[in-house]
Amino acid sequence: MFARWRFERRLRSLAAAGHRVLQDYAAADWPDRSCAASTAPYLALDFELDGLGIEAHLLQVGWVPFQGSSICLAEAHSVDIRSKADLDTAAVTIHGIGEQRAARGQKLREVAPRLAKELSGRILIAHAADIEVSAIERMAASVWGVQLPVRSICTLALERKLRPNLVGTEAYRLGPSRARYGLPEYEAHDALTDAIAAAELFQAQLSRVPAGVTLGELEQT
Amino acid sequence: MTSEIKAVANFLAQTAPFQFLGEERIASISRNVEVRYARSGSEIIRAGEHNDHLFVVRSGAVELRLAGDELTARLGTGSTFAYPSLLRGGEVHNTTTASEDTLLYTIPAEQFHALRDEVPAFRQFFAEDEAARIKHALDNRKQTSAFQLDTKRLGDLIVNTNPVSCPPDIAIASAVSLMHEHDVSTLAICDGQRLQGIFTDKDLRNRVVAERVALDIPVRDVMTASPQTLSTEATAAEAMALMAAGGFRHIPLVSADGALAGVLSATDILSAIGNNAIDTGTAITRARTGDALIEAAKRVPESFAAMTASGLQASHAMQFTSALGEAVHRRAAELAEEELGAPPCPYGLVVFGSLARREQLVGSDQDNGLVIAEDTDSAGASYFEALGTRISDLLDASGYVYCKGGIMAKNAGQRLTQEAWLDRYEKWIAEPTEDRILKATIFFDMRCVHGEADLVRSLRREVVAKAASSSIFISYLARDALRNKVPLGIFRNLVLEKSDDGQKVFDSKAQAIMPIVDIARTLALAHGRTEISTADRLAALAREGKMSEDDSQSLTDAMLFVNELRIAHQVRQVESGMQPDNLISPYSLSPLERDYLKDAFAVIRNGVDALRRNYAGGIA
Repeated sequence: MFARWRFERRLRSLAAAGHRVLQDYAAADWPDRSCAASTAPYLALDFELDGLGIEAHLLQVGWVPFQGSSICLAEAHSVDIRSKADLDTAAVTIHGIGEQRAARGQKLREVAPRLAKELSGRILIAHAADIEVSAIERMAASVWGVQLPVRSICTLALERKLRPNLVGTEAYRLGPSRARYGLPEYEAHDALTDAIAAAELFQAQLSRVPAGVTLGELEQT
Repeated sequence: MTSEIKAVANFLAQTAPFQFLGEERIASISRNVEVRYARSGSEIIRAGEHNDHLFVVRSGAVELRLAGDELTARLGTGSTFAYPSLLRGGEVHNTTTASEDTLLYTIPAEQFHALRDEVPAFRQFFAEDEAARIKHALDNRKQTSAFQLDTKRLGDLIVNTNPVSCPPDIAIASAVSLMHEHDVSTLAICDGQRLQGIFTDKDLRNRVVAERVALDIPVRDVMTASPQTLSTEATAAEAMALMAAGGFRHIPLVSADGALAGVLSATDILSAIGNNAIDTGTAITRARTGDALIEAAKRVPESFAAMTASGLQASHAMQFTSALGEAVHRRAAELAEEELGAPPCPYGLVVFGSLARREQLVGSDQDNGLVIAEDTDSAGASYFEALGTRISDLLDASGYVYCKGGIMAKNAGQRLTQEAWLDRYEKWIAEPTEDRILKATIFFDMRCVHGEADLVRSLRREVVAKAASSSIFISYLARDALRNKVPLGIFRNLVLEKSDDGQKVFDSKAQAIMPIVDIARTLALAHGRTEISTADRLAALAREGKMSEDDSQSLTDAMLFVNELRIAHQVRQVESGMQPDNLISPYSLSPLERDYLKDAFAVIRNGVDALRRNYAGGIA
């Protein structure tokens, strides 16, 4: 109920923050919550982290903006993020992003403005979007010291609405969810691949929701 | 900027026609892809609209529907579509609908056109015509083969281009000292430049020493006169087949003007490819006892595997395996004669079916019979009964197991005089019934492998002439050829049956090879051609203007292509210790191979349709 109010209040405080990129973010053409979901602008995004804890480091981010029925990969983007921290060995094994590569990546304060610019006026799409949203919030807090408001749709939550009766959590993971829509298997744990995978899943889910469903009905509150 | 979109690039790299393009181009394409999702039943592009993308099915399947027409094609993962509209400037003729939930990658028209301009293989792939695409597939395969037997000129293989030779009238003693002097096992006997015969170590043993011939008589009297020769332009494959079939180890080569150019030895070929198939042929031809023959014949499958491993192509592997098969049959008959004594009258041992067409792979059963010159008394009859039984038994033990249909020389019905054979054929031709023809087609592929070849030749000539003059018989043959269902649906999808273990498979022999064999046989007989092998029949039909060059070549290519898949499949089975069969799962093929397979089926279907229109009229 108050999601819109909270979002707009935070946007207003961004405008006062004194950073050009944040002012632009606040002034962007944000779609109305009554806008049809099929025509809204989105940004599918995925982070690779070195752990799942609150202090986990961001290693890589991949995103692809899309709107309407096709996902244009020319606009897809992937960045390794520089991190000097000792990386969590288990997570590093999964992502294949070693310390050397992480040390060669871009600095967080270079990545953050680009991401904020891409996300301006767009709804974030991710599978288990809470992780991405909180990662962005932490990033904004450390770079600018602000609370960045993010609008998002979680494909996992949407899948739980569309298929409420599946047993266990495994069935709702990205791969099994995609398979139910006839989407191919992708190699996991590459930020951009996962972002594209989420975008495709969302397109597939959109083909199953009633025509004319609005953003407000799908967005996380 | 990352250089490629991994998920997309990895997929394109395994998909026709992108796999020809190389990493850099694929990376660039992956950057330009737009991804689209189409729910099952939804329309993707509609006839009459404008299209400016090439579509690739990433997962799922789509259906192409020709404007105002029946369904035409169903395309699955890895298939491309909508390019005809790009080639004609954007106008869409086929409405395309998702027949399953489908993920599509689309590539902008500009990039499609640029790739066609830059990359011949890419352009070739979109050459709309199925026949051209199969041809292209075969060329690709040939390029990747390890050793190219059919491009290797014999002239380039021989080590010694100055063969040791002598005139026919010198004494045996001088000829032998010449061989000794030059340390050769084969001497070419020439009259001037012209080859008259050859004289080998073996001839010296068998015809001179064993026969106690005086050493001062001319070598002409003990040489092998008019030996089989090959042109220096002939290929290694032809030489190998000739050696394996005849059990020779040396073949004189003659140049275009008929002059002796050299003597090719088996070692020359073996050293070029490293293969034991000729040795197997030699072991078969020289087997002194039934047991030795059985032992030698057991090496045929092994030779087959070795041939394939050394990169031998389907046509050669078949030709070669057939040559070895012929050698086993011939030697079985020779050994049986040695045991039973000379036959009471001339006869010919004939083989039927794939061995007669020289299209045999390993694991075939035996199909044979005897053509006897004249009626014999009861002693003669029991001689041929014993002979036929011995031959069939030897073959069975050698791996050419008894024919379930009883087509073998041990059965009285397969030991007929030339006249009785002719009566039998005439009955089929004059009074065909569906059931009779079903069982009889195999008899129309017949080849003599031992004995009086002339007996068989004249029989065959008469049979073919009679067949050609009976349009009702030809129409029954054509109708029989339509029995084999080409597993290509009207949607251009593969219509597959489930094998015993529930896998979807197609029967590469029954559903692809046999229809081509049947088409070639029916047309060859309709036009009175006596060729036996399918490729020879198709070539003769084209030469005589009875079939278009294109159709003839396409059918030949389709057969080659499917046989290559089939051989690779069987070699895999043999390697993993399974009994080889012809049931191939399309999922074991690469997307490119699946594509070419569909092209092959389309070519076969066209051939079958033409047969239905032109010959099966009235009764099919």
